[in-house]
Amino acid sequence: MDDPHENPGVSKEIVELPAPTAWPLVLALGLTFTLAGLVTNPGMSILGGVLVLAGCVGWFREVLPHQHHLAVPVKVQKLEFTTIRTKIARIQVDESHRARLPVHTPSVTAGVKGGIAGGAAMIVPALLYGLIRYHSIWYAVNLLGGAGVAGWSNPTAAELTHFRLSALIFATIIHVAGSLLVGLLYGAMLPMLPRHPILLGGIIAPLLWTGVLHATLGLINPFLDERIDWWWFVASQVTFGLVAGWVVAQQTHIYTEQFLPFAARMGLETPGLMEEHDREDGPK
Amino acid sequence: MADSTLPIGGAIDLTPQSEVYGTWLEQVHDWVVTADHKKIGLMYMAYALIFLLVGGVEAILLRIQLAVPHNNFLSPEVFNRIFTMHGTTMVFLMGMPLIIGFGNYLVPLMIGARDMAFPRLNAFSFWMTSLGGLFLYYSFIGGVGLQGAGSAPDVTWWAYAPLTERAFSRGHSTDYWALALIISGFGTIGAAVNIIATTLCMRCKGMTLFRMPLLVWLNLVVAGMILITISPLTAAQIMLVIDRYLGGHFFDSQAGGSPVVWNHFFWIFGHPEVYVLVLPAFAIANEIIPVFSRKAIFGYPAMVAASVGIGLISLSVWAHHMFTVGMNSASNAFFVLSTGMVGVPTGIKIFNWLATMWGGKIRFATPMLFCNAFLIQFLFAGLTGIMLSVAPWNWQLHNSYFVVAHFHYVLVGAIVFCFPGGFYYWYPKMTGRMLDERLGKWHFWLFVVGFHMTFDFMHVPGLLGMPRSIYTYEPGRGWDGWNMIVSIGGAVQAVATLIFVYNLVHSYFKGAEAGPDPWDAWTLEWTTTSPPPAYNFASEPVVSSRRPLWDLKHPEDPDSRYE
Repeated sequence: MDDPHENPGVSKEIVELPAPTAWPLVLALGLTFTLAGLVTNPGMSILGGVLVLAGCVGWFREVLPHQHHLAVPVKVQKLEFTTIRTKIARIQVDESHRARLPVHTPSVTAGVKGGIAGGAAMIVPALLYGLIRYHSIWYAVNLLGGAGVAGWSNPTAAELTHFRLSALIFATIIHVAGSLLVGLLYGAMLPMLPRHPILLGGIIAPLLWTGVLHATLGLINPFLDERIDWWWFVASQVTFGLVAGWVVAQQTHIYTEQFLPFAARMGLETPGLMEEHDREDGPK
Repeated sequence: MADSTLPIGGAIDLTPQSEVYGTWLEQVHDWVVTADHKKIGLMYMAYALIFLLVGGVEAILLRIQLAVPHNNFLSPEVFNRIFTMHGTTMVFLMGMPLIIGFGNYLVPLMIGARDMAFPRLNAFSFWMTSLGGLFLYYSFIGGVGLQGAGSAPDVTWWAYAPLTERAFSRGHSTDYWALALIISGFGTIGAAVNIIATTLCMRCKGMTLFRMPLLVWLNLVVAGMILITISPLTAAQIMLVIDRYLGGHFFDSQAGGSPVVWNHFFWIFGHPEVYVLVLPAFAIANEIIPVFSRKAIFGYPAMVAASVGIGLISLSVWAHHMFTVGMNSASNAFFVLSTGMVGVPTGIKIFNWLATMWGGKIRFATPMLFCNAFLIQFLFAGLTGIMLSVAPWNWQLHNSYFVVAHFHYVLVGAIVFCFPGGFYYWYPKMTGRMLDERLGKWHFWLFVVGFHMTFDFMHVPGLLGMPRSIYTYEPGRGWDGWNMIVSIGGAVQAVATLIFVYNLVHSYFKGAEAGPDPWDAWTLEWTTTSPPPAYNFASEPVVSSRRPLWDLKHPEDPDSRYE
């Protein structure tokens, strides 16, 4: 590293900096002494009060009507910097380098729309299950909404078949929020698997989700676990996924951002893989 | 081997050293009345390091007492005082000044400013913080306790009510604790206001928000969190003082008050405080890991979003400290979920640090070693944090040594690794001298060994049922051997810390000359001399990317072309 002190070409300038001052210290001491008097001696608080007054007056005079400055003469010169980095090796890539990345994808909002449609559709098998098995459409509603009803612990199967307003409200909130969030997640995942939205949303995701839930719900909420019929659960999930996937498939596709330089999207410096600003001819 | 030498519009102070330094008294006066952010930052750091040693000695005393069962090294009363002072010291007198000190020193330099927005407020904040700490330690001499002897606070650093009420805490020891934290709290709030104003108003030309170094972003987030969280703590301390002096009943359940109110106030401060301390450690890792991987940080926008996300989510998790006070199930569920959510942005950060290192040309210099250890340790700490965030698990382990091990893993594993890493990285900038690498590696490896001996094995007695805060225990409960290992680990950490302190002092006089840019780094602080002149930059820098020094060193491939 070069020693900048040895470099020639020195010029002189003046820089104004805040003037050194003792008043902040005086004020801090005053406040501390004022409070310290509570546990030591009242005289300490009186001394603190005096210091606070002096500190405030001194500080005000320091900044009013104009702040005090210190004119610092500086000597300016050009600094020189070196880098230990060796020469950049640029990676040579051919035209097909990014060919396998998707150029088009459904938008994230398509996922949300799919979530809304899927959420509406999955109500049918859920209510059908309650109707066939317990002769009541409220069973599935109560089962879902019961999680949010404080004080309703371990209801019997018979209790779950009766209408309960609070459970309906909570079930609606949970279902709507869940459908939107799953739709959003679905939309965010689509660029990774854009070609088969119905397969992804209708089969793979419901099976994965059901598997995870089946494996863990017994630990998280054994009561809920006991009352879920997993075959009907899978049917509801698949209904959600198929409808959501179909809705997504109907939406207009948009360009992915894959044609943009990776560095621009992720802040990654990768010499040789980056396209430059003067290339404005859009996606290839 | 350098392949290019490029000019940069920087400035240095060529005033001879003999003209800069006057007499010893003039130097002391110069530091006492200074409004220079760098000197104030260095004073914060020196203050924090002194209290690191004090708090460390207290930790060693505690570990000697707990090394074997039925030990009488400390009396129960002294144990409680040392225990309280250790926690209070490490959080308020070491952690907070350290993060503010680094912020003070680095933020103006990194954004191309000459000083903080309010230099006099900056000095005032430092003096309030430091006087608060001195006042607290004066309680060892001046605090009149139950027996009429001088005594320090003994109500633990979280000071649960009603233990702190006059009926249970006679004398003034608790008052010292409350008043000291009020005093230092005002200093902390002043520092936060200053960092926010400086970051938002003092940036140089071209330094847009999304070109700021991540360290600056994180200091901005932390300053915002300080404003939100220190205020409830200060309010609670004032309520406590009112209870104790003016007959108030805020926390007196027999007179209509509620100790649980204290819990809420304290932990609304207390849990975000963990992030207030940890985010600046992240900030240091954000600067060190890319430079020593020779790659730009991976996913800068995601890192910014994750930092802001952590700041926001961490404000809604406080009651996971209170699962055992008897909250209703909806509250428990909310705080389980919100606590779990913090893991998402934190996970983003860890993945991005790994992605930054992936494929990089890594240099394992001492700063990088510390940051690498931090990555692994913080991952483990996060996992035990997720375990404790689950209410049923928490009910089993609340107030056990598992919790103590968890939060020490977070705080020591992050702060006491990243900040030394930060010292090794920026010490050359601060002093013009390099820290000794060989001593640095001794420091690192001894500290790693000591840390893992202490805090890995501390989980075990917790799982075996050892409660926290006890001053001794019965033999034969399966805790004996573990506690001995934990205490030996503490001693190893102490040796490592002494090596670090020796290195700081030794290298100041004997260290190799650093030059302005010893690490071949990219941010603005490296464009000025080491140490920087009082005015930082003779002319205002102009930047056109997140790595201005990279652009100057690599005109053939500047970042500005891609941002």
